[in-house]
Amino acid sequence: MRTFRNLSILAVAFFVSQASAQDYDLPILEHVYENGLRLLVIERPGESRVVSKIFTDMGALNETPGQYGAAHFLEHVMFKGTPTLGSLDWEREKEVHAQIRAAEDALIEELNRSRNTLRERGVFHDYQHSETTPRIGELRALIDSLNRQAQELSEEGPVSVWYMAYGGTGLTATTEQEYMKFDIDLPVDRVDLFLRLEADRMQNSIFRNFDAERMVLVEQRLGDLNRAETDYREAMNSLVGRASMVYVPEGYTNDFQQYTRRYERELYETYFVPNNTTLIFIGGVTLEEMIPKVEKYFGHMERAPEPARYQGREPLPSAEKRLNWRSNTLSPRVEVRYQIPGVGHPDRPLFDVLDEAFEAHLQSAISEAGVDGTVDINTRVVHTSRFGVPASINIELVVGDASQIDKAERTLLAELRRLGEEPLPADLVAQARKKLRTEWYRTAVDPNRLAFEIGHFEVMDSWRSLQPYLEARDAATADDLARLAGKYFIANNRSVGVVRPGEVPQ
Amino acid sequence: MKQLILLAVFFAIPSLSQDLTHPRDMGLPDSDYTRPDPTEYQLTLENGLIAYVAEADQVPLVTMSAFIRGGLVSDESQGAAESLFDALKNAGPSGTSSSDFKASLKQMTAEFVVEMHDEWTEVSLNVPAEDLDQVLPMFAGLLRQPAISEENISRAARGVAPEANDLGGESGAALYEGSMSAAVDRFYEIIYKDHAIGRRPTTVEFNELEAEDVAAFHAKYFVPGNMTIAVAGAIDVDEINGRLVDLFGDWAMAEVPEVKRMPAITRMRAKLHHFPSDKLQSWLVIGHDLPPVPLEEQAALDVMNYIMGAVHLNTRMMRVTRYKYGYTNDASGFPEAHWYGPGGYTYRSYSRPEVIENIYQNMMGELIRIRDEEVTEHEMFVAKGALADGSFPVRYLDGYALTRSFALERLRYGNHDRSASYLQRIRAVSIDDVLNAARKYLRPDNMQVILLGEEAFEL
Repeated sequence: MRTFRNLSILAVAFFVSQASAQDYDLPILEHVYENGLRLLVIERPGESRVVSKIFTDMGALNETPGQYGAAHFLEHVMFKGTPTLGSLDWEREKEVHAQIRAAEDALIEELNRSRNTLRERGVFHDYQHSETTPRIGELRALIDSLNRQAQELSEEGPVSVWYMAYGGTGLTATTEQEYMKFDIDLPVDRVDLFLRLEADRMQNSIFRNFDAERMVLVEQRLGDLNRAETDYREAMNSLVGRASMVYVPEGYTNDFQQYTRRYERELYETYFVPNNTTLIFIGGVTLEEMIPKVEKYFGHMERAPEPARYQGREPLPSAEKRLNWRSNTLSPRVEVRYQIPGVGHPDRPLFDVLDEAFEAHLQSAISEAGVDGTVDINTRVVHTSRFGVPASINIELVVGDASQIDKAERTLLAELRRLGEEPLPADLVAQARKKLRTEWYRTAVDPNRLAFEIGHFEVMDSWRSLQPYLEARDAATADDLARLAGKYFIANNRSVGVVRPGEVPQ
Repeated sequence: MKQLILLAVFFAIPSLSQDLTHPRDMGLPDSDYTRPDPTEYQLTLENGLIAYVAEADQVPLVTMSAFIRGGLVSDESQGAAESLFDALKNAGPSGTSSSDFKASLKQMTAEFVVEMHDEWTEVSLNVPAEDLDQVLPMFAGLLRQPAISEENISRAARGVAPEANDLGGESGAALYEGSMSAAVDRFYEIIYKDHAIGRRPTTVEFNELEAEDVAAFHAKYFVPGNMTIAVAGAIDVDEINGRLVDLFGDWAMAEVPEVKRMPAITRMRAKLHHFPSDKLQSWLVIGHDLPPVPLEEQAALDVMNYIMGAVHLNTRMMRVTRYKYGYTNDASGFPEAHWYGPGGYTYRSYSRPEVIENIYQNMMGELIRIRDEEVTEHEMFVAKGALADGSFPVRYLDGYALTRSFALERLRYGNHDRSASYLQRIRAVSIDDVLNAARKYLRPDNMQVILLGEEAFEL
């Protein structure tokens, strides 16, 4: 396989030399293979272990309605092994999986045929002619029986067991709106194991125990729903965004029953291709060593048709929106959200500084106004705080006494207006910058977290954006923050949530 | 026919050029890992204080931690430990006001951790290297002379009030994030009922407590020979060693308090304890006490626990709950030894209420099976590899990790013999050793079963 090796190393050498004069030293070395696979390495000579991650540029943004959470589910079933890992008798097991697939196709046909009977038409989930048909029951029973047969022909934990046996630690996988990643830390001289297992997982995954694993996601969703805040937050998310998939939670309960092997296979085959994949290593390896090793395991993969990237675009902000939420378990609060740009936009790093500086200012301001409350400013939607697409900044004020909600809202809005007119004190901004810088060092000192940030920036924009992003935060001034407030904190870009105790007046 | 063709493509044989050598045939090298030598990092002061100092200059940060052998069950004046904990967290060093102390931490953007366990305490600070001159005297002052006042006693008293243990409400312990902790707390309340480790001060005892009692507790336990220190980060080791001598060298040597060994727990018959909770899931804790584990049995217990339920995807517990049936997201084992008395050994899971009984039955089945049947060679291979080549080296991965590990080991055992022999001990564990460990440390007849959630089953 021919590579771009020399050119890309030169480009990186230039980049690194520019960076070395700054506060943030990120000596990332890059190599891009002809099939599009990207290899990023931070060399730490002498270290005995290596952090290894594989990022795929896909996530919840790529799901279709009715299949929310399918990307996350795909991550789960990609732990179930391959023909060469986990099968006791692949020839026989393969036949059983073929029968399961055929039964699932028949089930889909029957569900389609019976849709008018099965479809829930009631607003209050109270008008459905029937919950099932005899044929659906037969097919589900058949799939259950075939699942048991397949289980008899396979072993559990076929991927993770080998990582563990050879000293792997920190085995995790994560799927969020814009990425899926698998990661492991290994002794340096066993890094080949990562390449062997991940290349196999990327190309040959068998979705074993599909229906049992579906229920594991149900458990995770129930865990979300146990939080008093979840329903409210999801309502706020949907209030803020009208089009973007950023705002959709990781699956509604109904969606879990909709996932099919066929749909998961489509996602898998579309996105798990070399030209949509980035490998990241930090530790006692060198780029020179890793180039041929990666080539050995991933070099046979053909460049695939470029997967369609998510191009969702929110309509222009055009009205203030408001959510009146009643809850006797959630603390009373007022929350104001504004849409903000994604990573890659020059304003985005400044919002990190604004978050820190304004939170400190607002906490003092509400105290001075006689409001007993706690301020939290964040940019989180579902579990993620940064996106490559527009999302939101959330200014939350939880009050001790519900009778103070109106006063809290007035104070909050007044301070937001003031922020656009009167720059924050310079020392507050300097302190915010210092806090962000220290937090970054706490991230960078941990090779796992550092590798994650590199991979996350690569899927949001480019790994090359990371260092300029950090430097832009360090250069932020009070005037910059005032400009942001004037530009983004406008009524038409505002969503307000108010949580009060009691029942909704009819 | 079309369907058959699609299926054939779906299960196409992987490309012939893909290297699919099985992991066990890849020729992966044997581990040549050796633990770092603690003496290379050790500084011993004349007053008996031992510190471990390492340079770790990837980023301009410094972490300093002190570990003190003394905690919640060490105090003779009930409530003194809790009050000292509050003083360490909130008051800062003597001579500084609480608000100035907190403002300094904020200005430095410090991460400040104070944890008080039953038998030991940790005080840690992580700050930018530029603030080292400011933080070192603060760190020393906090350890040597914390500002202790009546306010610390009243705040600590409020912390043990019954409402702080409520299972309901938004901030209550029974929410998803806290429900397992709540169930585990109930477990420990049950096994430590009427035991010294479970004793907590009452409001009356707090009312009788005075700041002098708290100061006396501090003076007894926070002495150079009863403490170890770890410092790592963007530092010059020689310079830090000198600073430590300056800051702690004149601290008078004092008598090291005698280790307080706790009696064994009276064994209880297996019992279900149900705690209602109006949530969408139920939480399950199965366990009993864990007696102090002698050195010669520790490795076998580690291997047995790894096979059964250490927190990873391929344990027996995960296979019979999550992997095969999708009952739960997690089922894991937690041997939680105490330093000088009985700890607890629990297996924990959670699920939708309708399958919690299945989880209980399957977990109990595995607890019985590992006492009856030998584990496999394959399970031994995986567990030993994971422990010897994975979790153990990670304890010494960088300056922060190794100074912390050495400081804690020294404080607990007085030497580094355990870590020196760990790899050898793990590699020597036999299948019989695992069987013996299971029979000794897993006792189905004594299992206390905590069910937090809907009523679901009886024993």
